[in-house]
Amino acid sequence: MKKIIIILLLFFACPALAYYNLGQPSGFVNDYTNTFTPEQKSALENKISQFNQETSNEIAVVLIASLQEDTIENFAVKLFEDWQIGKKGKDNGVLVLVAKEDRKMRIEVGYGLEGALTDAQSNWIINQVMQPAFRANDFYHGLDKAVDQIMAATKGEYVPSDSQAASQGSGNKKSSFNWEFIFYMVIFGFIWLSSVLGRSKSWWAGGIIGAVVGVALIFIFSWIVGLIATLILTSVGLLFDYVVSKKYQAGKAAGHIPWWIGGGRGGRGGFGGGFGGFGGGSSGGGGSSGSW
Amino acid sequence: MKKALIILAIVVAILALYAWGIYNKMIVANEGVDNMWAQVETQYQRRFDLIPNLVNSVKGAMAQEQKVFGDLADARTRYSGAATVNEKVDAATQIEGALGRLLVIMENYPQLKSVETVQTLMVQLEGTENRISVERKRFNDVARDFNVMVKRIPAKLFARMFGFSEKTYFDAATGAENAPAVKF
Repeated sequence: MKKIIIILLLFFACPALAYYNLGQPSGFVNDYTNTFTPEQKSALENKISQFNQETSNEIAVVLIASLQEDTIENFAVKLFEDWQIGKKGKDNGVLVLVAKEDRKMRIEVGYGLEGALTDAQSNWIINQVMQPAFRANDFYHGLDKAVDQIMAATKGEYVPSDSQAASQGSGNKKSSFNWEFIFYMVIFGFIWLSSVLGRSKSWWAGGIIGAVVGVALIFIFSWIVGLIATLILTSVGLLFDYVVSKKYQAGKAAGHIPWWIGGGRGGRGGFGGGFGGFGGGSSGGGGSSGSW
Repeated sequence: MKKALIILAIVVAILALYAWGIYNKMIVANEGVDNMWAQVETQYQRRFDLIPNLVNSVKGAMAQEQKVFGDLADARTRYSGAATVNEKVDAATQIEGALGRLLVIMENYPQLKSVETVQTLMVQLEGTENRISVERKRFNDVARDFNVMVKRIPAKLFARMFGFSEKTYFDAATGAENAPAVKF
């Protein structure tokens, strides 16, 4: 049995012989070689993050040890596909990839920025900015200046589209944003309600809340809709409160409250912290490569 | 008798539903492949447009290499005249070959390397070649998905009925062999 599993694993490992997955990005700056000092890393991270807020462009700086026999072009395209740097629909991402042992670097440009950051410009940045610094073993300043140049080239290309400015983006994007928002509101509301109702002594308050919402609906819509809603909501509320209260009691007895009643085990607060992952952009092999 | 009719009707209805679903699926997949092919063609066009600039900027220094310029011009004419996808692929391969030869010959003229326009053009060409290989690979990926779909039973029976046939891949060999390696 064990053998079979190993053989299966080998099969799955085969296609990834050259390119290897780096896992999830931890920020705009991903240094897998410990080249940067923590201060340098956060300085660069802040700079890119600031730029991202101003322009919505996403610049990823990645230092890896080795390409493991892959070409840097292929590695960059695959990594870009995996991380999806840039915003969805705009494809405004740039990947700066450095492979230290192979002494190779590449600037891979997303589809949406190919006009702003041309191959010739990328090549100029590689040869005039990165290469001399890398030869002097000064990776931080080489990359810092390279990022400056990339920012200068891509500055005017896009403006951030948060909720107010979303109208200039595609309609598709806007609606998906709204759905996501509603989805989180529903989840949040659900957890909030269950944590309140579960902790309350009563097992019937949910029914009252349902009834109140139902009566409110009578005023908003009509008698018939409101009446039916009242009936349904009251019974659902009762059932909900009953289940949640039971679960809460049982959970309290067992010492661990289910997450959906707002329990959690100190693992919350995981999101936030500035970097929420890249936005779903893609690239098609644009940019330039070099070595030092 | 009546029972048999009802069963038959149900079977026919299920088959029709299945055919409906599979047809729509194939349409979507087919569009995906076509879209990918359009991407490849865009990059071919980009290369195509770069060539005259490159030729013009190196022609002066390489006056005695008329043959390769002639080949390139021929291939370009063929590409512009190509009507079907297969003709286009053939012509693009021909361009690729001629371009590869030109780049090899250019290595004999080191003075060209210091000319800025030539350098820029080479960078652009390099970028274009890389784009072509990326889009080709993606084309192959979606074409493979499509082929798996239309070749599987029972979809296979319907695919023929609806007129969907297998897509041809880009041979890895033509891409890898002839893609000009630009080393400056």
